[in-house]
Amino acid sequence: MAVSENVERSAASEVPERPDFFASLKLLMRYGEGAKPLLVLSALLATGAVVLELVPIWVVWRLVIALIDGTASAGLFASYALIALAAVIAGYLLMGLALGLSHVAAFRLIHALRLAMARHLARLPMGWFAGRRSGGAKKLIVDEPERLEILVAHGLPEGVSAIGTWLAVTIWLFAVDWRMALAAIVLAPVAFGLMLSAMGRTSRMVGQYQAAGERMNGAIVEYLAGMAVIKIFNRSGESLGEAATAVRDYAAIETEMGRQFVPRGALFYTLVVANICVILPVGMLLMRSGTLNLTGLAFFVILGANYSQPLLKLFNLFHNMAHISMASTLIEDVLGTQTQTDTGKRIELPNREVKFENVRFGYDAHEVIHDVSFTAGDGAVTALVGPSGSGKSTLASLIPRLHDVWEGRITLGGTDIRDIGIDQLMEEVAFVFQDTFLFSGTIAENLRLGKAGATEAELHAAARAARAHAFITALPDGYETKLGEGGAALSGGERQRLAIARAILKNAPVIVLDEATAFADPDSEAAIQEALSELARDRTLIVVAHRLHTIMGADRIVVLDQGRLAETGRHGDLVAQGGLYARLWADYTAAQAISLRGNQAAEAAQ
Amino acid sequence: MSMVEDRVAVPESRSDMESLKRAWHLAGPLKGRVARGVLFRFLQSMMLGLSFGVMVWVVTGLAEGRALTAAWIWQSAGLMALSLLGQILFGYLSVRASWLSSYEVAGHLRLRILEKLRHLPLGFHQTRHRGDTVTVLTSDMQMLESFFSDGLPRISQALGLPVAIFLVLLTRDWVVALATATSVLVALPVFFGTSRQLSKLGIQRQDMQAEAGARMIEFVQGMGVIRAFNQVAQGQESFRKAIDDFRDISIRMVAQLTLPMALFGMIVMLGAPLVIWVVGGRLNTMETGTAITALLLLFSMYAPLLSLLGVMEAVRMADASLIRMDRILSAPDLPEVADAAPSGFEVSFDRVGFGYRPGEVVLHDISFTVPERSMTAIVGPSGSGKSTILNLIPRFWDAGSGRITIGGADVAWIGEAGLSNLVTMVFQDVYLFSGTIRDNIAVGKAGATEAEIEAAARAAQAHDFISRLPRGYDTQVGEGGDALSGGERQRISIARAILKDAPIVLMDEATAAIDPTNERAIQTALARLVEGRTLIVVAHKLSTIQSADQILVLDEGRIVEQGVHQALLEERGLYAQLWSHRAKAAEWTLDG
Repeated sequence: MAVSENVERSAASEVPERPDFFASLKLLMRYGEGAKPLLVLSALLATGAVVLELVPIWVVWRLVIALIDGTASAGLFASYALIALAAVIAGYLLMGLALGLSHVAAFRLIHALRLAMARHLARLPMGWFAGRRSGGAKKLIVDEPERLEILVAHGLPEGVSAIGTWLAVTIWLFAVDWRMALAAIVLAPVAFGLMLSAMGRTSRMVGQYQAAGERMNGAIVEYLAGMAVIKIFNRSGESLGEAATAVRDYAAIETEMGRQFVPRGALFYTLVVANICVILPVGMLLMRSGTLNLTGLAFFVILGANYSQPLLKLFNLFHNMAHISMASTLIEDVLGTQTQTDTGKRIELPNREVKFENVRFGYDAHEVIHDVSFTAGDGAVTALVGPSGSGKSTLASLIPRLHDVWEGRITLGGTDIRDIGIDQLMEEVAFVFQDTFLFSGTIAENLRLGKAGATEAELHAAARAARAHAFITALPDGYETKLGEGGAALSGGERQRLAIARAILKNAPVIVLDEATAFADPDSEAAIQEALSELARDRTLIVVAHRLHTIMGADRIVVLDQGRLAETGRHGDLVAQGGLYARLWADYTAAQAISLRGNQAAEAAQ
Repeated sequence: MSMVEDRVAVPESRSDMESLKRAWHLAGPLKGRVARGVLFRFLQSMMLGLSFGVMVWVVTGLAEGRALTAAWIWQSAGLMALSLLGQILFGYLSVRASWLSSYEVAGHLRLRILEKLRHLPLGFHQTRHRGDTVTVLTSDMQMLESFFSDGLPRISQALGLPVAIFLVLLTRDWVVALATATSVLVALPVFFGTSRQLSKLGIQRQDMQAEAGARMIEFVQGMGVIRAFNQVAQGQESFRKAIDDFRDISIRMVAQLTLPMALFGMIVMLGAPLVIWVVGGRLNTMETGTAITALLLLFSMYAPLLSLLGVMEAVRMADASLIRMDRILSAPDLPEVADAAPSGFEVSFDRVGFGYRPGEVVLHDISFTVPERSMTAIVGPSGSGKSTILNLIPRFWDAGSGRITIGGADVAWIGEAGLSNLVTMVFQDVYLFSGTIRDNIAVGKAGATEAEIEAAARAAQAHDFISRLPRGYDTQVGEGGDALSGGERQRISIARAILKDAPIVLMDEATAAIDPTNERAIQTALARLVEGRTLIVVAHKLSTIQSADQILVLDEGRIVEQGVHQALLEERGLYAQLWSHRAKAAEWTLDG
């Protein structure tokens, strides 16, 4: 693999220092196509529901007045009971509907975001992934958008209706008696002031919190991935150590945030429901001064005491706001990362000659390919060889634009590959990796990656050509056999042949084999060799190879050393030249001869 | 599903009480602080109750014509101040205790599960999605955390005030008191029914979230393939179905739940018209003060109960998380006894049978002996069980039948630490932890000195390239740190095996080719590692096979031939066939 110790630098997840509190709304505006009308409707219904919730309270107030006046009667109570009955039923229907709608909207939005992010990721240069743990990306796409549920499903409809009702009730209170109204609401601004200050304190730490969470995720993924090594070295203590430290750090940050938040946050929660403690003494004083009657006091005692209910709903929202905003900010950042350019053009190519012209490329700021030029002839076999770290794989990965060159250009049939639309380029080039990656799913699904909608017959033909048909049909479920974690276990050679079948199915005129001649399974070596010969027939083949004997017959061998072109030529000439290739060839033949036991090993160890 | 999960009886849904009990149990050493948080919350709600009491006292007094004296005002104001201070105090104490203890509960549980994971047989991990386990430790744990910080205290708050009010009313007019309780009693079955339903859907939903997580990890890990096959453009994303399903079950859950939940709230609140109607009917027989009291307290009684709805969701989510945690916590550990001491390092299989799943047979009746310091090569077609034999020796799995012994002692009785000291394994897939090269080598021996680490690196032909790195042994490697070539990584893993200095070496010979210079170095390093040790190798290299003291030829889980190279060739059986195959493959060239 290409070497760059700078890759690590980008591994530090770039967590924004402070969340953007409007990020969630921006996401909603941009990705909430199907969600917006539902949300508006939901907010309207919720407001109606909250207004209806006030009706029974009003009823109780009227009845208390009647009791004080002595005008109460069973008939009056019965008719007010009916009003309350109707209001309760209607109110809950509206609320149920509102919440149902808002949830549907929320899940649609979250779904749209996940899809958009995943698609966006696939368009980012591969370098973006180099420094990230896969657990971190999963958190970005699966866990973070989930946080939006609270905001969209509950926060928006309930928040909008809470604020609406709160305003209406406040006006009502002031209309009845402004002095009592002040007594009823005086605690609210204090409470909110405290809440804002609590949020301010914690939002400073949200960045750290997020980073600690990501680190914990990554450490746990790694702990699980390394379990076999952990067991064999009985090093559970230490490796548990990193995960445990990450867990403890995370708990420490949570605790610290909690400590910052609790004094003010708890006070908010108390004050927002405690206004009865102010209303009653103030009311009594006013009554004693003769400027308030019992009816007025009853009104504020009943309505004022419940006045804070909508505000409490807001509390739960605010309490989560920092986390939600942080999640949204992260999502926005990912979606805002520059993707690879794509002209989308289809270009008629005269031939399939691949030409590197003064190519420079690197990771981060570290150049690993220095001014490399060579031509891989149309329909010819070109081999890239060199010591590890010489840049062979990197060079190969530039052809399907897994990365883009820094300087110079790569042409396919005379056209710069960046001018060819990505869709077309992917049709032109098939890339077979050394590590065969199969997705969870059936064998057929994995093969159809090569050609969406391939017929059964095409699948079988490709599998036959790749010498895979026989072992597939021997499996209990044949082509429908499930693969992946928990699925059927295939040997390395079988997996490799599936990867080759996939590439055959793709039927691209240019094939790049990244060390694919390195057999994961020597027992099917011969079969894989036949499959590769089949794949390579009449195509432009660029192959990264370590087993030098496999490329002895190549039309051109390109020898790389530390990112520079060292020599090119055919096997015999290069061996005769006595340069780098000749040295590699000597190592290669020696390596084949060293056995684990015996004289040669002892000699080599000297 | 996997064999491991078949064995464990984890309920698929539980009643609310059972979930509360389970959660309580998991709080472990923090039970005291959790309980304190709940108690303080209860006291806070009692203090709020005090202010309602004062309010009722004043309003009914005034309605009955009591004179409004300054003394009365100060008395009430004093009580209100007391109530407010009490609320502030208990509110603070409660939130503090609940929040901070919830973080600790989650931290403790995470550590406990991490600890548990390493005592499970490796098989447990290989039969589960890794993303699944990660989800238990992250998202699921967050659910539980918010249950302890928020859900549990809210339950106590929701129950405190209504109970107090009901008791007060009972002393004034028992008919009215019963009327207030009626709606609550009618609503309860709806509540519990809904709650159970939520429980079932909740666990399904979280399973799907875990599935989506696993797909996403796969998506990122397979990004190269996705790019090369232009999958996204073709709209065939592998994760698409997972997130679609997740959305659909989320929506289904809401659809099935909003109606009963709204119904519950509605039934509870229908208590208001009922009580109004009952009070109206009893106007002649009850005091005005009592009627006013009933009306004033009505909403203070129902409002907290309604907030239980929000809690229910939290309880159910937490419960689904609990069940998923229990799938791990209740999985059986690898039995661990340490009372056998091996004498010598001879490895012996005695009629060993094994399958990864019940009913599956991977190894049949395998018997062989590897004398101390000798070398045994295992060869055979893929899927014949070669690697499985290696995996049984360090007890990644336990043999299904028969015995595996080292120096005469059954491996199952040697103990984890003892076994680990005896055996080292060189894996095909090199796994380096995030950390420095030094850390990764030091894994081989706790407390290794600088000199020992360097000596091991030298023996593994790794010292030179490590020294050439700008940061030498302090270079960061691991997931995300692609700074080393495959051959270099391999040599680091050999260095740590050398440092471990175990008398028995198990080796799955690498098949992936590395560049010739590295390959030569690795062969030299391996030769150094296995010098003078008992060696069992799943062999691919012709030179390795040829030099073995004993060759086991495996086919479909049985040993079909056994002997040394020359003798086996002359048998003209499977071995001879494999050999000629490989010898031919070694000559193949790619000529387009």
